[in-house]
Amino acid sequence: MDLTELINGGGPFGFLFILRIVLVAFLYLAILQIVGVARRDLRRAAAIAQVPGQARQVVGHLIVIDSGTTKIPLNARMDIEPITTIGRAPTSSVVIDSGVVSTDHARISYRNRSLWVEDLGSHNGTYVNGRKITQATAVKPDDILQVGDVRFKFTV
Amino acid sequence: MASRRTIDLGKARRNFGALLDGHRYRWTELWLLLLPAAFLIISVLELAIVRTQPQIINRQTLPPLDTFAPALGLIAALAVAHLALNIFAPDADQTLLPIAGTLASIGVIMATRLGPDIEQKDLGAKQLAFVVVGLIICVVTVRVTRNLGWLRNYKYTWAAVGLGLVALTLVRARSFSTDAPSRDVLSIGLGTGGLTFQPSELLKICLVIFFAGYLSENQEMLALARFKVGPFALPPLKHLGPLLVMLGVALLMIIGVRELGLALLIFGLFLSMLYVASNRPMYVVTSLILFTIGAVAAFGIFSYARARLDILGSAFDPAVEPNQGYQIVQGLISFASGGVFGSGLGLGSPTVTPAATTDYIAASFGEEFGFAGVLALIGLFLLLVYRGLSIAAQAREPFNKLMAVGLTAVFALQTLVILAGNLKVMPLTGVPLPFVAYGGSSLIANFIIIGLLLRLSEADT
Repeated sequence: MDLTELINGGGPFGFLFILRIVLVAFLYLAILQIVGVARRDLRRAAAIAQVPGQARQVVGHLIVIDSGTTKIPLNARMDIEPITTIGRAPTSSVVIDSGVVSTDHARISYRNRSLWVEDLGSHNGTYVNGRKITQATAVKPDDILQVGDVRFKFTV
Repeated sequence: MASRRTIDLGKARRNFGALLDGHRYRWTELWLLLLPAAFLIISVLELAIVRTQPQIINRQTLPPLDTFAPALGLIAALAVAHLALNIFAPDADQTLLPIAGTLASIGVIMATRLGPDIEQKDLGAKQLAFVVVGLIICVVTVRVTRNLGWLRNYKYTWAAVGLGLVALTLVRARSFSTDAPSRDVLSIGLGTGGLTFQPSELLKICLVIFFAGYLSENQEMLALARFKVGPFALPPLKHLGPLLVMLGVALLMIIGVRELGLALLIFGLFLSMLYVASNRPMYVVTSLILFTIGAVAAFGIFSYARARLDILGSAFDPAVEPNQGYQIVQGLISFASGGVFGSGLGLGSPTVTPAATTDYIAASFGEEFGFAGVLALIGLFLLLVYRGLSIAAQAREPFNKLMAVGLTAVFALQTLVILAGNLKVMPLTGVPLPFVAYGGSSLIANFIIIGLLLRLSEADT
């Protein structure tokens, strides 16, 4: 079998037949490579999630004094980190699963050796000692924070 | 002095590190783009060899050598898009462009191969031109949406723009009849020169932006569900009202121009976004019941829709007028004659089926690439949907999350509706297979969606 015949041959082992198989194989190769990249991304995400990271800095605690309509247990003690977010979003530091709590409801931050509470544009507002806050408000131990129908007390 | 110098050094190192991090070269994307390039080159090679085969009858209709330029042009276009993304969105998802590129490669190759068979020798070149315009608009989208808040703030404007475009075609459609589908009516709109444009393609994107903006702002209220009618939970009407009005107007307009496939698509993406926003399965059940009532009504009003449903059962029935099921039957024969590995690119005769380059592109591809090829095609679409949903899962802002879900749903639903239609599982509706089917409006709209997904993926890294 000479070369031209081999190249042009349409037979079962001709060049054309091989090309046809290679063509489909390339589509699968593309899929395999993309799946490989997706797997690497997943592993990386998992690794980031598992990194112990810097030891968590706890700058205070929240005690639940009124759990409202939620299932949060009364007197539960929650850590306050230098930046603590409160909301319905599962990514919040303190998750409150309630219809009257916004996705990102409020934020507690540690600045100038003091804790500050800010409202993040929630629908129903954030209250400190019963007063609705409109700007970042400094709080001290024993102050009462109300988010939705849940009330907390600040402690050290 | 000494300590001061140390601090400066540390600062310099940090800045340098940030520079490297911020401008990482997109090697993964470059590597993945080699695969569609190889696919294109092998396809061109195979088409050239098939042409030299004396025993193949239909070789006269295969593209002459100079029409192979589209394949090489596409490689160049993808490379330029890759470089542009390196500049404008260095941290964006690196698999979206290769997946879209592979699908677009299949589209360009199929258009190049099928064009001469249906007496349109430059079909491949035209498809390439659409892809190039699409890639340019994709990069522009990535660039102009750096601030996603801009999209959200003008959500009513976007909805109005989309609806206005469709209303324009509605006005231009001279007659109203209930017994014919309307693809042509929509394509008349905004025709400039030989080009036509389907505003309905843009309507999908505009509505996704509107739904995402509105739902993300009213997420809390939607989750409340104060009213209960029997077992069905209803959200406060005040908050759902604008949404339902907008959806109703969109659906009415589309039914007005008789594009039922598009109505189905828009309803489907509304449902998926509503579910993700509220996390309440009951809304989906309530909406599906409403949808069923609507569908029954639509089949009562539109005789062509009824005919499409009837033909599913009687396509092979010899008693039925032979032309009725011709397209469906030919499409199935195309799939079947492909077998497992297909007849080979350029060796089948898929153009027997009407609309072989548009609605029945999947059947044409299935005949020449076989079952193995169709599975790979579905795999590519699955990966596209997977990447879209993982962008949604990673998104922090509710608006970004809902946008990613809605845009991905557009791809998923379109693929599902047209593949099921081709395979005689669902009534056939003229929805283009994303990236693969011949047609400019749909390609450009799909590349805008890819651009938005790229932007969303970068916003949350």
